[in-house]
Amino acid sequence: MTTPGEFAEFLPAYLAEVDELLASAQRDLLAVEEAVRRGAAQPRAVRELFRALHTIKGLSAMVDVEPIVSVAHWMEASLRVADQAGGRLPESSVEPLVEGLRAIEQRVRQLGAGKPPSPAPANLLERLEALGPQVLEAAPREPRAVVLDAQAAFASKLAPSEREQLEGGLAGGQRAVRLDFVPSSERAAKGLNINTVRERVAKHGDIVKVLPLSGAAAGGASLAFALLLLTHSEDAALLEAVGGAPATVRSLAVAAPLAPPAAGPSAPPPAAGPSPALLPAMPGALGVPGPEDDLDEPEVRRGGGLLRVEVSRLDEAMEWLAALVVNRSRLTRAVTALTAAGAPTRELAAILQENGRQLRDLRSAILRLRMVRVGDVLERLPLLVRGLRRTTGKAVRLELDVGDAELDKAVADRLMPALVHLVRNAVDHALELPDERLAAGKPPEGLVRLGCHARSSGQLEITLRDDGRGVDAKAVAQAANAPVPESVDGLLDLLCRPGLSTRQEATSTSGRGMGMDIVRRIVVEQLGGELRMETRKGAGTTFTLRVPLTVTLVDAIVFECAGLKYAVAVGTVEELIDVDALKVVRPAGADGLGLLERRGAAVPLVSLERLLERTAPGDAQGARGTKALIVRQRGEPVAFAVDRLLGQQEIVLRPLEDPLVRVAGVAGATDLGDGMPTLVLDLGALGAARVGRRMGAARSGGWAS
Amino acid sequence: MNVLHVLFKVDGTEYAMPAADVVQMESFSGATPVPGAPAHVAGLVQVRGRVIPVVDARARFGLPPSTPTLDSRVVVGQLGERTVGLLVDSAREVLKLDPRTIQPPPPMVVERAKGFVKAVAQVGPRLVMLIDFPRVMGEETADVDGQR
Repeated sequence: MTTPGEFAEFLPAYLAEVDELLASAQRDLLAVEEAVRRGAAQPRAVRELFRALHTIKGLSAMVDVEPIVSVAHWMEASLRVADQAGGRLPESSVEPLVEGLRAIEQRVRQLGAGKPPSPAPANLLERLEALGPQVLEAAPREPRAVVLDAQAAFASKLAPSEREQLEGGLAGGQRAVRLDFVPSSERAAKGLNINTVRERVAKHGDIVKVLPLSGAAAGGASLAFALLLLTHSEDAALLEAVGGAPATVRSLAVAAPLAPPAAGPSAPPPAAGPSPALLPAMPGALGVPGPEDDLDEPEVRRGGGLLRVEVSRLDEAMEWLAALVVNRSRLTRAVTALTAAGAPTRELAAILQENGRQLRDLRSAILRLRMVRVGDVLERLPLLVRGLRRTTGKAVRLELDVGDAELDKAVADRLMPALVHLVRNAVDHALELPDERLAAGKPPEGLVRLGCHARSSGQLEITLRDDGRGVDAKAVAQAANAPVPESVDGLLDLLCRPGLSTRQEATSTSGRGMGMDIVRRIVVEQLGGELRMETRKGAGTTFTLRVPLTVTLVDAIVFECAGLKYAVAVGTVEELIDVDALKVVRPAGADGLGLLERRGAAVPLVSLERLLERTAPGDAQGARGTKALIVRQRGEPVAFAVDRLLGQQEIVLRPLEDPLVRVAGVAGATDLGDGMPTLVLDLGALGAARVGRRMGAARSGGWAS
Repeated sequence: MNVLHVLFKVDGTEYAMPAADVVQMESFSGATPVPGAPAHVAGLVQVRGRVIPVVDARARFGLPPSTPTLDSRVVVGQLGERTVGLLVDSAREVLKLDPRTIQPPPPMVVERAKGFVKAVAQVGPRLVMLIDFPRVMGEETADVDGQR
């Protein structure tokens, strides 16, 4: 029975975990496929893939997602065989494995969307089940030419693949040795610890495995590490790398002429028996047959120190920070008022300035928390291209050159669909079939290259280049029923027309047409970025996207006032009300200010139109709007009259950084899709600032019109 | 060395600024007014995804306002980190100005032009005012420490 409802509270954590595992599984499967094509074994990737599925199965069993458990189970079973066969997979096994991962991913998405996962396709399960025997057949059966010293090499702790790697190295003429490193405080002081030793030893060869040894070690220490490695280096060089005695080196080859086996009883015996599992494996939860191997090394995973945090928590921190900023500006005003009244505020002002710096630092620290590596975001693209290769019959190579640029999660989430779209278009529309390419004097394999780098202006520039046929301006013009554009910008404008398609029939990959309008909408309107194109007939097309590294998303109410649109953050609005002009009281001498009754209390009604200086004060009739937003201004509710409410939507808030337009009461600007910036107002601050200004101006006798 | 300049017109007078400071020219179809901004700020426009302030040259130079026409242009310039626009009546020409023809402005012009004109160049029979772009764009804000 699949009843995800019961596990609803675990679901977010489950989905996040499985997402990550799927991403690494996809990476590994690609590596495996690559190796299979070359006819080579890829023991590490097979093993990682096996582990990922093993864990996915366990986690899915825990939240009772039966379809995923079944798929993962059969994938795991065949991968276990492959792992034992030294990481070899027959070519025919790749496709079912890819489909398996896709089936899992689909179901994870369904769960994420709050839907029940569809049952596992029976035919896929059958094919996956049949994989195990196929894998077994494909495994090499030649007798092993070399033998490992079982005791020295902790044979019981070696995975078959690791064993094969060691034996393969030996057979290939390398030395297989076990190097024991004994840490101590003196060595640590000289910078020698297991991590630096790993790096130093890695220069001498391939480290196959590192095992911690407890119990009495050489030199009287109680902890040592045994590094099993393949190397061409001499013992002396290896010993040197780990700081000399009491470190030891011994060969792992039995009857090798270089060193006698088991150099003596000085080495401690390996800890007996399999170590407890580190993975959250849940065997038995399913009654799944098959023994659980000793898969889990007591090896500390490196690159740790990562913490997974829900984005909503970061947003919460950001909100508190915003509250602090608002509070600070109130404080600033109060200090300014004090100063004006002649109070000694020098120290206070200095503290305030320091406080401002600290707030800025805190803000950038929190923003940095939301940054994700672009490389991680693009992880799915190679798999996408692989799928396209199959469905289009085109030979494609995807080159990623993303470096270590980082991007705000909110930007990355929005950008990804646009990139997927562009890559799809490139393969589906731009690249030619191999024959066509050969005829045009190009290599049969098409190239799609995605590069990105951060620019100093706080923007990320992404280029997507293909060496395909280029955009046919005439065909586009014809499809758009427009004259052939003169410039490439004009051509891009045509391409971005909604619903434009240069294809007569829909294809399964790109659907019907290009959907470039969606790409542009995401890049330009949603993210406030830039989209450009260069194209040369027969030579290819390059799209350049420039997007801000961070965006601030705000749920906003959009309204109209004096013929212009404005937005205001939903969170600041207490209530939306209808204004009945007949019930508005206009006290004498209140300068057009009205009062209206709300739940037994009088609430001032302010004309936003006047506040925004959209009317000459002379013709002011006071608040005329038919709707009003109630916002707290210095703790008191105030109604701001507006003409029309247009709705609620999520907007990208772009702060106004130029000093010319950095004014109180305007939080920033946004693009609602009409190409004109729309102001995002902070009504409370706007009201307060204008009142202050008016009074200040009145004092100096300047406020008149 | 002759330096490339962008020429534009405001109320019949020709002005120029180095082309190196100009990012691009845009036609003008209205700006979003910003309440509380200095009076010479026409508002915000969006240029290739960026939101930039536009200074109305007429208002800045103390000239009578006029309605924007099809000829109106926003000269988008770079001022260090800032990207700002200057709204002018028209901008059609790009010229190389010979430094030898550039003279300091007469004292009366200096006075009248509030320091916005830093030199006068002679182009054939025409006189072209070289503007001090940073000064024209200015940063006049009421704010003390740049924080809102």
